[in-house]
Amino acid sequence: MYDAIYIEGKGKPTATYVFEHFANDAMSAASSKGMPVIRIVPETIVSESTATATIEAAVAAAFDNVVTVLTKPLTPEEKAPRSKEPEHPARLVFKGTLAEVNRFLYQRGWTDGLPVIPPTEEAVAEMLTGAGLPAGTLIEKLEPRLGKATVERIAVNAVMAGCLPTHMPLLIAGVHALAANPVCGMMAASTGSFAPFWLVNGPAAKDANFRATYGATSPGDIANATFGRAMGLITKNIRGIRKQVEDMGVLGNPGKYSWVAAENEENSPWEPFHVSRGFKKEESTVSLMFPQSFQQMMPFSTDDKGILATIVGSVVPARQGAFAVLLTPNNAGSLANGGWSKQSVKEFIIKNTVVPEGYYKRLGLDDSKPFDRGNIVIANTAEKNAIFTASPRFPDPVHVFVLGGFGSWMGFLQGGPEPMTIKVELPKDWAQLVKKYKNVVPTYARY
Amino acid sequence: MYGKEVIIMSETYEVLSPWAEADPIPLHGLAPRLDRLDGKKIGFLCNSKRAAPLILDATEKNIKQRFPAVTVSRFFAKSFSVSSLEKDREGEFNDWLKGVDAVIAAVGD
Repeated sequence: MYDAIYIEGKGKPTATYVFEHFANDAMSAASSKGMPVIRIVPETIVSESTATATIEAAVAAAFDNVVTVLTKPLTPEEKAPRSKEPEHPARLVFKGTLAEVNRFLYQRGWTDGLPVIPPTEEAVAEMLTGAGLPAGTLIEKLEPRLGKATVERIAVNAVMAGCLPTHMPLLIAGVHALAANPVCGMMAASTGSFAPFWLVNGPAAKDANFRATYGATSPGDIANATFGRAMGLITKNIRGIRKQVEDMGVLGNPGKYSWVAAENEENSPWEPFHVSRGFKKEESTVSLMFPQSFQQMMPFSTDDKGILATIVGSVVPARQGAFAVLLTPNNAGSLANGGWSKQSVKEFIIKNTVVPEGYYKRLGLDDSKPFDRGNIVIANTAEKNAIFTASPRFPDPVHVFVLGGFGSWMGFLQGGPEPMTIKVELPKDWAQLVKKYKNVVPTYARY
Repeated sequence: MYGKEVIIMSETYEVLSPWAEADPIPLHGLAPRLDRLDGKKIGFLCNSKRAAPLILDATEKNIKQRFPAVTVSRFFAKSFSVSSLEKDREGEFNDWLKGVDAVIAAVGD
């Protein structure tokens, strides 16, 4: 829709075909760019469809509307639109019991469907103690709605998610990460159901009890569970990306609830991810990826040869976007014992992950000319069999994270833009905060 | 034990809004519409969605049938949005826009 808004702004009337289920998304996009009255042509074509007969029938059915959109005189509202949002929305919005508050927030579309902690003045004030910044400080304006991510608004969503105040500095860094690449908004709204994966590095990960070992991305730890959840609520309530309104993910993705891990720096033979990206070891960072998929494999064998063979043999040619290999400390240790650095592992993967000879012909596809490899048009060049190639969008196309417990399973994260890494700015009283909240951990009774 | 739960459930909470404020942004109206299509030069903007070229092919058939004096000029984006993701082509895109009377775009999802 952004092109239609741009073109209308240049004085040219525009008719944009929009799949009928995306009409709300289109109108929200237009409102966010200052044109809430954009005219669209709803149609019945899935945007990735290649079914010519279906498309021709749908266009024939919609064509009268194309003519109307381009020629029907404008209404006064279309000539001079008015904003639909109140300029100063209420700060306190509801009073009720726990159940009533939850029902109210849910019915307003402000939760992820799970119950929330009521964001009272008292709870938000406690959350703000972790920020080290005044409540009104503007951290970022988040696209597409350009909602103001103030420290207080971040804290409200953090309370709802169940965060502790020690998570606030990391949430603020997370908000910076969302704003660092405009593609993040597109990822959160995409039909591809990309889900944010957050990797936490540095001493703050341990201070705030982010799990790096067994079940690093599974439920059960307050930091991993609530950090991603809060970022999801921020995406909904500050960015304004809501399911089937702006977020048009077709299959959806459970990672959108919370997908967070700390890197297992203590047990990795290599430098931590944030150090690879130019940060100091004693600094703390959050890194953001938007993978679509999480794949786990048992290596052919647990020596370096078997681990690398499993990686290069398990990547499918139709993959797209960023790529990260998840190695347990044991897998990383086997590679290091074999003389592999993190960089040499990455170089090996890039060089040796190729489309097998005759692969496309076996699938009945003609690869003698440029063709569509599941959204990626592959030219008939000498490099066409390379699956990972450095490009301006992906200057570093393979990443390696060491996380999880001691074991042999390994994994891939795939999809979305290059990871973004943002330094966490800790408040001056961080040590006291850590002391206060460090012991908020589960104690499991043995049976 | 049960009495305590009843007390918690009946306690009331006044809650802050999680929904962010957004500064008002300048609002813009639509461009004036055409008085007719026939005889006009219509730009077809085709983005990287797979259905886009097929939709525009079908549109061209319809438009030529209904308005024989229409001429069509196509611009192919390399992404979902030439104006926001292909800044290096802004000049080329603007030059193309100057040469058309209206635009039909596919696909706006």
